[in-house]
Amino acid sequence: MPKPAQEFSHEDALSILARADAAALKALGEDLAIGFPDVEVVHSRTGLVMLPMRDTAQGTAFHLGEVLVSEAHIRHGTHEGYGLRKGIDLEASMAMALVDIALASGTYVEMCRDFLRKSDAQHRDADTETLRRIEATRVDMETF
Amino acid sequence: MAYVATRGGERAIEQAERLFRAEMGTITPERINEIKAAMPYLVDRVMGEASLYDEDIAALALAQTGGELYEAVLVLRAWRTTQPRLSVAEPIDQDALFTHRRLSAAFKDIPGGQLLGPTLDYSHRLLATQVLTGEAFDPVPVDPAATPAPAHQPSVSAWQAANDLVDLPDDDTTRPDDIPDITREPLLFPSKRAHTLQSLARGETGGVLALGYAAMRGYGQAHPTVNELRLAEAEIVVTHPKGTKFSAGRVKVSQAEVLSKKGEKLELGFAATLGWNEVKVIAAATLDLNSAGAPKGAATEEEFFLYHTEGVESSGFCIHFKLPHYVTFQSSLDAMRDAKARSAQQKETAQ
Repeated sequence: MPKPAQEFSHEDALSILARADAAALKALGEDLAIGFPDVEVVHSRTGLVMLPMRDTAQGTAFHLGEVLVSEAHIRHGTHEGYGLRKGIDLEASMAMALVDIALASGTYVEMCRDFLRKSDAQHRDADTETLRRIEATRVDMETF
Repeated sequence: MAYVATRGGERAIEQAERLFRAEMGTITPERINEIKAAMPYLVDRVMGEASLYDEDIAALALAQTGGELYEAVLVLRAWRTTQPRLSVAEPIDQDALFTHRRLSAAFKDIPGGQLLGPTLDYSHRLLATQVLTGEAFDPVPVDPAATPAPAHQPSVSAWQAANDLVDLPDDDTTRPDDIPDITREPLLFPSKRAHTLQSLARGETGGVLALGYAAMRGYGQAHPTVNELRLAEAEIVVTHPKGTKFSAGRVKVSQAEVLSKKGEKLELGFAATLGWNEVKVIAAATLDLNSAGAPKGAATEEEFFLYHTEGVESSGFCIHFKLPHYVTFQSSLDAMRDAKARSAQQKETAQ
């Protein structure tokens, strides 16, 4: 069941935006940009996020490798917007940051929540479909 | 040993590169997309060995190098150095993995059950030669189950610990920014465990398999049984400037735990890598299991396997031998001729 939009925490909203369809997010970002003509761009860049993992044999945290990401960090008055997504797509990370700042400043909130609601439902459906296909491979072994 | 610079050959060098690239022809975005769609396991292997996760960049590296894997990994590692490190994510925990494939060869009734996931393990290896005569090969679609599998699966070793079979380790509380990193510090021996596991994660698949296989065949101290194998997706948990932690998306990861009996308990070896590459993680976990107390120079000794499974260094060292060695080789010839002349002189004197 999709969540009611007002129930999205900051963490949920950011996680949904990071996974959202890039074209749809950019379209939303273009609409929002009109309402924020004078944002200060702190960062708009590509870079790497190092991804550590915890070893299950001895508990050691170690680095698995780096992930290529695009990052946008913007300011509007006292509000900050942040976007960080996998891959090279500066427009998409900027659009994510614009949605974040819109929600933080209480501007275009319903438009953003509607986007979150739709994207969240798409992600849940995709995950459910993937997990149904995985479940089809469950094996009950018998030994003789 | 002496080196001299060689001169000339610029035109030949340029034409040689053109000749190499001519075979691949024009590289288009469509080709990159086709490589990603058609060869995900190859893309995964290259991302793991390059220690850089991005399917587009990895597919581009494969397209540009014509699938010459060592060159593809080299160009990715080189490109990686042009990018700043923005942050270090939160460590991945096994229990939080979105799991696609999860097996245990040690226990059949593990909590959560066994999910084969995508695999050819139990398939006939038949080539679809009809494709070559114009008939497309359409794979039979999966019949999805009515209910989804759980997204997350419990740890097998936690269940074993509850049954007093293994001792569970305490979690490493090192801050993510302070985790030792071999891309920023030298690999020294005895190696820090974080360095060992990071080196194996980016190790060259063939090299890791060769040495892991040597251990499996009896050149190691312990025979591995796969305790748990997972192909999964991990969330990249990063921090918003205001402190909110969130997932910036998922990446594919593989991890393997292998075990062997040690006294009254089971001993575990572990390995993981970016992308789905189960041969590599099983072989690497076998090396980890066997490394304690391995004799100097053995395939399972840490220094031996970490140095010899670093693909960029080993392939680079190997191919450097075809570059001009005229002075060193001439020196060897001179020594050979001197020895021959001395031997002839001694024979003459003796007569």
